[in-house]
Amino acid sequence: MTQTHTRFLIVDDSELVRQGLRIVLQENPEWEVCGEASNGADAVELFKELHPNLVIVDFQMPGMNGIDTARRLLQVAPAVPIIMFTQHASNELEKHALDAGIRSVVSKTDAFPIVGIIEALLDPIDPLQRDPVQRDI
Amino acid sequence: MNEQEKVKILMVDDQPAKLLSYEVILKELNEELLKAHSGKEALDQLLRNDIAVVLMDVSMPELDGFELADIIRQHPRFQKTAIIFISAVHLTDIDQLKAYQRGAVDYISVPIVPELLRAKVTVFADLHRKTRQMETLNHQLRNLSARLMAAQDEERRRIARELHDSVGQLVATFSMNNGLALMQADKLSPTAGNALRQNTALVQQLSKEIRTISHLLHPPLLDEIGLLPAIKMFADGFAERSSIKVGVDFSPDIGRLTPKVEISIFRIVQECLTNVYRHSESKTASIKIWPSDDKMLSLQVCDQGKGIASERRVSMSQGTSGGVGLSGMRERVRELGGTLDIHSNGSGTTVLAMIPVTSAETVSD
Repeated sequence: MTQTHTRFLIVDDSELVRQGLRIVLQENPEWEVCGEASNGADAVELFKELHPNLVIVDFQMPGMNGIDTARRLLQVAPAVPIIMFTQHASNELEKHALDAGIRSVVSKTDAFPIVGIIEALLDPIDPLQRDPVQRDI
Repeated sequence: MNEQEKVKILMVDDQPAKLLSYEVILKELNEELLKAHSGKEALDQLLRNDIAVVLMDVSMPELDGFELADIIRQHPRFQKTAIIFISAVHLTDIDQLKAYQRGAVDYISVPIVPELLRAKVTVFADLHRKTRQMETLNHQLRNLSARLMAAQDEERRRIARELHDSVGQLVATFSMNNGLALMQADKLSPTAGNALRQNTALVQQLSKEIRTISHLLHPPLLDEIGLLPAIKMFADGFAERSSIKVGVDFSPDIGRLTPKVEISIFRIVQECLTNVYRHSESKTASIKIWPSDDKMLSLQVCDQGKGIASERRVSMSQGTSGGVGLSGMRERVRELGGTLDIHSNGSGTTVLAMIPVTSAETVSD
């Protein structure tokens, strides 16, 4: 992963949320949204094509939910950090999300901390980030 | 069965002449008359038809009327079938007592007074018709109630989804934009900065409230992940809102069930915890779900509150009170073919639902 340029894939069925995230992420000149998908199946295709460094995924979407989508993405690239961005953040959802290999669950109720969480995930001294493959095994 | 519909009257006598005379007498009732020349034939007719009244001779060769009545009563379907005995010889009080002990509704001696026989048969034919009408109405009512509950579940799911997809996403974006603006709040005047900070807090609160409403309408984890995580999430939220500590015990894991069973169990738990909050004054509650065997699932919700007042317990057990919530729970359990028991005393209330889960309904997780 290049530390100077991070490419994001946003997966959310709400265009408004995708747009909002794009604006927030583009505040950082080293961050770039390389793709957007409105459902899990499209996300898997785009993911294979674009090889993003980080994925932000919604939980409740038509078709495949965010946890199943993350599982599919991690089958393709087990090391990629995935953040779940959802209105349904709860201990219970977090437990299932972390089991599936998602790194963090961020509530849309209090959305802005997502920036800090992304920074922490991208931090080279972050143990999760330093050896993600090992963790995923 | 409507008011005009004919009911079936079974006449049993070994003598064809007598059967003919009953037929002549009863013909003007305009009901359907069936004949049997022996006890065996009578049983055969009973099994094949829905009989309103059995008119039966006591003295018959092989199987007499009393023996036949004994056999009829053993069958669960015929325990309430009206039997009228006719006899020319067994006329003593003891004979009549024997008949009534076998569940006869009347005992007529020969010679028969046609008007009397017609009057007596009419009473039981009408009673049967009314009973069948009641059963039909009851059945229709149950169906309607089940359909209403399913429609209500579906509507709640739809509204929750709408809230998530529309207002929820708007508020989430609102919150992100506020975050961006807050990064530059120092460039604003103190008044504008304070207003922005206040707005941020308000949006956050709004978002939480929408989320709670949406979750109460339909649990988001139920469809996607399963019943037990959905109940845990609901219990966590309930504990936070009510300050009632809720323990959960879901071992062993029951895996996924059919959507209908899952939503029904979820709604029962939701209703039980709402009752704990509203009525029990308990500070604790517990939810336990376990497979009682490979075909039954048990759900138990307990609280340690003041219990249900005894007079209310009586009316609840008679089904005359208990509010829509309790009736709703009963209907949900009944629809799944299960049972619901409520035990309550001064130290708490326990609701126990036993729900059949056939292997076809259990799908792998």
